[in-house]
Amino acid sequence: MTARLLLVPSLALVAALVACGGSSSESEVASTPAARADYDVFALRCSKCHSLARPLNSGIDDDGYWRAYVAKMRRQPGSGISAEDSVAILRFLHAYSVEQRKRKGKTVDPP
Amino acid sequence: MSSRGLLLAIALGALLALARWQPALAFDEEHNFAGSAQIDYHVVPSEPGSAVAPSPYTTFQGFTFEAALKVAVDISEHLSANVKACYGCHGFEMDMAYFDLRAADELNLRVGRFSPSFGAFNLRHDPANHMTSDKPLPYDMGRMLRKGDWNNGVLPAPFPTNGAELDGTHWIGNTAQLDYAGYVVMAFKNDTDPDPTDLNFQESHLNDYLTSDPRPAAGSRLALTLKAGDRADITLGASGMFGTYDPNDRLTYAIVGGDFALRVGRTALRMEYLVRRQQMDVTNPDIFKYAIAPVDGDFFAKHGAYAEVEQPVTDALDLLARADGMYRVGNVSNAAVGSGNETAAYSPLSYRSWVARETLAIAYAVERNLRFKGSLELWEFSYPDQAGRETELSFHVGAVGSF
Repeated sequence: MTARLLLVPSLALVAALVACGGSSSESEVASTPAARADYDVFALRCSKCHSLARPLNSGIDDDGYWRAYVAKMRRQPGSGISAEDSVAILRFLHAYSVEQRKRKGKTVDPP
Repeated sequence: MSSRGLLLAIALGALLALARWQPALAFDEEHNFAGSAQIDYHVVPSEPGSAVAPSPYTTFQGFTFEAALKVAVDISEHLSANVKACYGCHGFEMDMAYFDLRAADELNLRVGRFSPSFGAFNLRHDPANHMTSDKPLPYDMGRMLRKGDWNNGVLPAPFPTNGAELDGTHWIGNTAQLDYAGYVVMAFKNDTDPDPTDLNFQESHLNDYLTSDPRPAAGSRLALTLKAGDRADITLGASGMFGTYDPNDRLTYAIVGGDFALRVGRTALRMEYLVRRQQMDVTNPDIFKYAIAPVDGDFFAKHGAYAEVEQPVTDALDLLARADGMYRVGNVSNAAVGSGNETAAYSPLSYRSWVARETLAIAYAVERNLRFKGSLELWEFSYPDQAGRETELSFHVGAVGSF
């Protein structure tokens, strides 16, 4: 009986965790096939060494910063981020930054 | 030209190239602040710690905690600084404090305190960057069962030390990336034991400001990454390090390793092999378990390898399966490393000893920046503990956050 008493709250906790897991606001940005392709390059390359939370939750929404940062990541050994990949990654990060700026009520520069 | 002359010519060429560029006139200094913290609960149902007390059957059970804070500053287009402070088993420690002076992608001079380029795991050593609570056995630093018997892994990670590294990366078109690194660093030592028989990793980490072993270690790494289509890449790497570790610069260690990684989509297959050949001080035969062999009796070799598959199931859920192990061949010292006590207890290792482990792990990101980790580990040893066990089970449950 004790085991069952423990099992019920454990399952409830797991269900609650599953329910709030896998936040995907980036998927709103990747709503078109072209944007999705950019996101895929970003997700594929950047998850090689670290979780995607690092860039997505960094709070950075400045294109200049991202240019410098992606160039830095590209230089990491074995990054696999080619010049071609950088373009797609930066396109996604720009779109994501625009979305973040809108959410924060900041001004959005015209494209 | 001698190898020393060749090295000198390369170093001078690099310095000239670094001196040629002019810093950009206008540059917005950029700062990046990042960090991570992991708490892990380790359970070993057989309670090996209670079978024999005290060590060398040391095994950490219960909660362990580690945290790190990192600041990266791009001072100019060519100069950046990184400082990372960690808290863990050894207390507060400086994991990074270095400057990068970059003339081009292909030429970067790193000076200060850092983990020199060795192997593929080095880049992912932060607990936020790998899916298990512990590290592959060749890189284990304190979480393995019977760690006192083995004195940790082949190259416990991270391995911050002081020195300079010349490194760079070169892209060949959009399909191949070639990375290189060469360095001179203080690296590992053992100034504590009167008859050193192994590296003292704790001392190597903490007391680097002053050392009685002034000769630096040297090492290098070469790796090639090939992109096979839009969604796959392969990396092959080789690393080596050579140095001395005793106050008299007499006892050598050499570590070499090879690594292979295949990534298809977000599925990763990784394999690494390392071996460390370690000279021992055999002037006091009384501290050894076996008679000193007249030839090649003054060293041991510790091999380590792992193979793992990491498979994301959803954006939030990852699974990992890993097989890893170590094999040690050579005489065994009965003096505990770093104790300075030659009368320490009997070592259970024999001339040839091994440990193998199979791991199944799960990681679940409840929020992007907070991941729960769980793993089940089956251990097999070539020798029994005092309770007669050669097989052990252990469990990890943990959480890691990053920002």
